[in-house]
Amino acid sequence: MPEGGTYFGQYVTIGIFALVGVVLVLGTLQLAKLVAPNVPDTDKYTTYESGIDPIGSGWAQSNVRYYIFALLFVVFDVEAVFLFPWAIVFERFGTQAFVEMVIFIGILAIALLYAAKKKVLEWQ
Amino acid sequence: MDFVAPKIALSGIAPEIALAATALLVLLADAFIGDRPRTLRPEHGSARPGSGILGNRWHLPLLSLIGFGAAVYLALDAWDRVDATGATTQFSGMIAVDGFSVFVKITLAVFGALTILLGHEYLVRRDLEEGEFFALVLFSVAGMMLMASSADLIVTFLALETFSIALYVLVGYQRSRLDGQEAAMKYFLLGAFSSTFFLLGIALVFGATGSTNLYGEGGITSFLATTPAADLSLLVLGAGLLIVGLGFKVAAVPFHMWTPDAYQGAPSPVTGFMAAGSKLAGFAALLRLLDVVLFPLRWDWRPLVIGIAVVTMIVGSILAVVQDDIKRMLAYSSIAHAGFVFTAVIATNDRGISGALFYLATYGLTIVGAFAIVAVLGGPEERRTRVNDFRGLFAAHPLLAGILTLLMLSLAGVPITSGFVAKLVVFGAAVEAGYTWVVVVGAIASAIAAFFYLRILVVMYMVDAEVAEEPKAVMGPLSIGVIGLSAAATLVLGLFWSPLIELAEKATFFAGP
Amino acid sequence: MVDTWQLVVFWALFAMMGVSALRVVTSSNVVHAALYLVVTLMGAAALYVLLLAEFVAWVQVLVYVGAIIVLMLFGLMLTRAPIGKGMFDNDQRLVAAVTAGALFGVTTWIIVDAFEGQKITLSKATGIRAESIGDVIFSSFVLPFEVISMLLLAALIGAVVIARRD
Repeated sequence: MPEGGTYFGQYVTIGIFALVGVVLVLGTLQLAKLVAPNVPDTDKYTTYESGIDPIGSGWAQSNVRYYIFALLFVVFDVEAVFLFPWAIVFERFGTQAFVEMVIFIGILAIALLYAAKKKVLEWQ
Repeated sequence: MDFVAPKIALSGIAPEIALAATALLVLLADAFIGDRPRTLRPEHGSARPGSGILGNRWHLPLLSLIGFGAAVYLALDAWDRVDATGATTQFSGMIAVDGFSVFVKITLAVFGALTILLGHEYLVRRDLEEGEFFALVLFSVAGMMLMASSADLIVTFLALETFSIALYVLVGYQRSRLDGQEAAMKYFLLGAFSSTFFLLGIALVFGATGSTNLYGEGGITSFLATTPAADLSLLVLGAGLLIVGLGFKVAAVPFHMWTPDAYQGAPSPVTGFMAAGSKLAGFAALLRLLDVVLFPLRWDWRPLVIGIAVVTMIVGSILAVVQDDIKRMLAYSSIAHAGFVFTAVIATNDRGISGALFYLATYGLTIVGAFAIVAVLGGPEERRTRVNDFRGLFAAHPLLAGILTLLMLSLAGVPITSGFVAKLVVFGAAVEAGYTWVVVVGAIASAIAAFFYLRILVVMYMVDAEVAEEPKAVMGPLSIGVIGLSAAATLVLGLFWSPLIELAEKATFFAGP
Repeated sequence: MVDTWQLVVFWALFAMMGVSALRVVTSSNVVHAALYLVVTLMGAAALYVLLLAEFVAWVQVLVYVGAIIVLMLFGLMLTRAPIGKGMFDNDQRLVAAVTAGALFGVTTWIIVDAFEGQKITLSKATGIRAESIGDVIFSSFVLPFEVISMLLLAALIGAVVIARRD
């Protein structure tokens, strides 16, 4: 076990888990390759479509409306990033930090409200 | 706990806060009050002044205008305080509160209000949604204002991004127009590209000075004052990249490639707003950065800026001559005008700063009117914007042709117009600083530029039997008002320029360290 | 002094990031390229951990690996171009290589020049804590922080304008 105290110690654990995860996936795939019978056939490469021959390519262009969901995710992801340091200093900063974060979240909440009212969040 | 909450003074960014709050209100009002029934929407061209077209949905533009009014009021209030107590910084040195930023903010608010007026009529006639348009205009003006008073490169970058993102969307607002989509795409890609230059510039400046702050303790100004000018190559390189990033925004050659396409594809009210506001905001940041903060390094950055100025004036003027589309022509003309303003930047004296402010204010008022005329003549999708489409305008709309004549003469810099006074002021500043040869180049560029403004005038007054389709102006009271205001400003400031110049001279006091 | 094992991890990450970064630009399938980018960015996050910048590392994972890649994949799905081989190549490889090389050279020179071999020692026990970042964000950098929310809002309105149906 390398030295480095608590900080690196924690990340060694994470590193080991990550390594185990990678090895598990890759190992299983390799194992399957080793033990599975290998009988190549062009039909096996066709897209399965309930027994009907597939027409055209498997690629479909998705609707641009879904982009809003991706962007909403990004927006609130960025917000979440700021919440971590905020939560830590909140106790010391008190009201000031609270007001600052309320303004920040409030603006984004208005964005969400606006998007919902404009009916862009509805699937169909 | 020994933490002391800083007393937060807001007067420096009160106008921005007012605009942002108004934008939020506009969004909420739009979302909750809902859309006007579509059947009531008048078709393009069927409108009669005073009828339903402008009486139907007043609340959003009115709210936006109140926001701009509040912004002007708060800016004037800040100016009083600056007069009383001197220039300061606020928000831990993030915001400079000085006459310079206040002047820019008031000018920007006027541009924004004119855009709202034009945009309202434009959108109603084309049956487009208005809420987002107004909100984006408000956001972008707030970003531009923040740019003018930013005293930290991080804030400058965020302000730049805020107004840029709003403008990317506004350019492509009329989604039925393919050229608008293309324009928005090009503007966005090149704008994002320029932002990375700006960001890299910030990183280099930070690497060189250890700070992104302009005036504060340990900031760039104090770094330059305390450190011997030995190892500043990194700082100069960073400043160069910042100039590149801002050069994109003010459409300086060689960073102008997006300009013609974006100006042509955008709805004309937006084009006017971009030409007026984006340039003013970009130059505000450039003036503060180069003429104040990096003033000690002026011998390092000046050659680069002189090069940009000369190339911009010449290339903009020459390429404008060969354009057939009036919006593209005005785009290249706006590039040339950026070059003229650069001659004031290289002067690095107070006269240059006030001259640049005067130039940008008068140019903005003129160009907004010019694009308003293009908007009322262009038709629903702005297809009639070729120079030949203006053939016979004098016969069809003599007053409109007269006003366009005045605006074109002002852009060309002919006496008794504001454009003449503005050119005189910036060229005078450059001569005073000893850059007479740059001014000579500028004069040559002006002469070339005069050719294409005159070309429009000639076409306009030509009475030609072969006019395929007479120019037809579709305008309501708002367009008429804005065009009239622009013409009046152009003429009045061409005759009585001293009050505005005095204000601009008052505006050259920057917040110090 | 840097520990040996720290160096070992660094070079392992270097190898992983180098290979995946090369695959990002050489892969003929754009989705694969995006996924290789995930590996590269994760490697960068691990580098931040190694540099004791724990918070930055997690921001990297949350925002870049999480959000930006999602946005990119969405972008790929929304464009008409079929996801397949050979659709995204052009004849500008040399220009791209020269540009990237120049950028690398300039950045390296800047970093070497700016730090001039000076060493920064940090407490290995705690690393750079999110607390010190929070201290700065919520006191002197409040204004940029609030402006970010306006920026995000403007971007969201933009997405609504572009994506809503008529």
